[in-house]
Amino acid sequence: MDTVVVEGLRVSGLSYVLIFAVLGIFYGLIKFLLRMLPPRDDSA
Amino acid sequence: MTDLLRGIVGMSDWRVWAMFGVGLALIWLAVKKEYEPNLLLPMGFGCLLANIPFSSAVGGGFLDVLFKGGITNELFPILIFIGVGAMIDFGPLLQDPEMLFFGAAAQFGIFFTMMLALLVGRIPGVTGIPGLREAAAIGIIGAADGPTSIYVATRFAPALLAPITVAAYSYMSLVPIIQPPIIRALTTREERMIHMENPEREVSRTVKVIFPIAVTLIAGIIAPMSVALIGSLMFGNLLRESGVTERLSKTAQNELSSLVTILLGITIGSSMGGKQFLNPTTLLIIAMGLIAFVFDTAGGVLFAKLINLFRKRKINPMIGACGISAFPMSARVIQKMAQQEDGSNFIIMHAVGANVAGQIASIIAGGLILALVR
Repeated sequence: MDTVVVEGLRVSGLSYVLIFAVLGIFYGLIKFLLRMLPPRDDSA
Repeated sequence: MTDLLRGIVGMSDWRVWAMFGVGLALIWLAVKKEYEPNLLLPMGFGCLLANIPFSSAVGGGFLDVLFKGGITNELFPILIFIGVGAMIDFGPLLQDPEMLFFGAAAQFGIFFTMMLALLVGRIPGVTGIPGLREAAAIGIIGAADGPTSIYVATRFAPALLAPITVAAYSYMSLVPIIQPPIIRALTTREERMIHMENPEREVSRTVKVIFPIAVTLIAGIIAPMSVALIGSLMFGNLLRESGVTERLSKTAQNELSSLVTILLGITIGSSMGGKQFLNPTTLLIIAMGLIAFVFDTAGGVLFAKLINLFRKRKINPMIGACGISAFPMSARVIQKMAQQEDGSNFIIMHAVGANVAGQIASIIAGGLILALVR
């Protein structure tokens, strides 16, 4: 297969997986923030 | 006298007439159909200004100055993002963070289209898509996010900027027409009628303030190329959520957004010169932009159906389609479809959550592509 096409497949696949990974980190971040800083924290 | 006549002589070029048609069509879509009027109207008029033979607006004129000062250096899309960030309420996403993954899934169209563009560019006789950078710039139309498309296209394929921008904004405005048939084709009526409980969770102001700062730092460290885009979006959001910069937040939402939209639109329009715009590559880009939106929608819906296989409390798979970034149009479309099937079904909060997740995901996608494509 054309090397450019192979490189395209590599970049596409890696990028798509990394988007899930980065948003997975944000998911963990939000869960952590919600647990550590519940609404009553606003009065502080 | 010669100067007066050369404009009339220049009208003998068929491309001038064709581009007048394109410009007037954009203005018509804005005025008559109200498709993204804030952008398509300035773009249409910019197109007219640029294509009048021997126009003083281009060729060193004010539109060239704006292009160099706002597009080439990527300033306008960045400023637009500050305004967008100030307009977005991440509350629905913070209440229901699972929606983040639909934002990720619905970026599928970017990568499908990127590969398609790459393969089409390999066909003998096809010019204009010589390599991965151009293919990536076309694929990013699937981000369904104008500023990100402009940002990536400016870096990777400045010659294709005009058709990519036209495709991105045109299809964003056509989301109510593009998404419903794809969603209906991929879901059953029973699936579209699934009710979802609204998240009752309260989100503290502290979380809303920390979120944009933390996202900027994390995304920036992982993909430094995304800092300008995600940083400006989150800066705008911090102005909104801090609660102490109301004047700045309102300025970002209104005056800044409006001013930059005017300049961005007319400047992009001015890049639609007949010689550059009227070629088979433009038609290919317009066609592939539609494919990108179709596969974004399909990617989101099919991902929702996939995770439903493992869940007790099912998700309405239409929510997956909201993962495209076209905010808030996509969320409205999905809520309307849900109510058409069942008048008592309100999934708007989940839809908005997935929609703002798509906004974040599309910027991350842009940053990753900029980092990975050589």
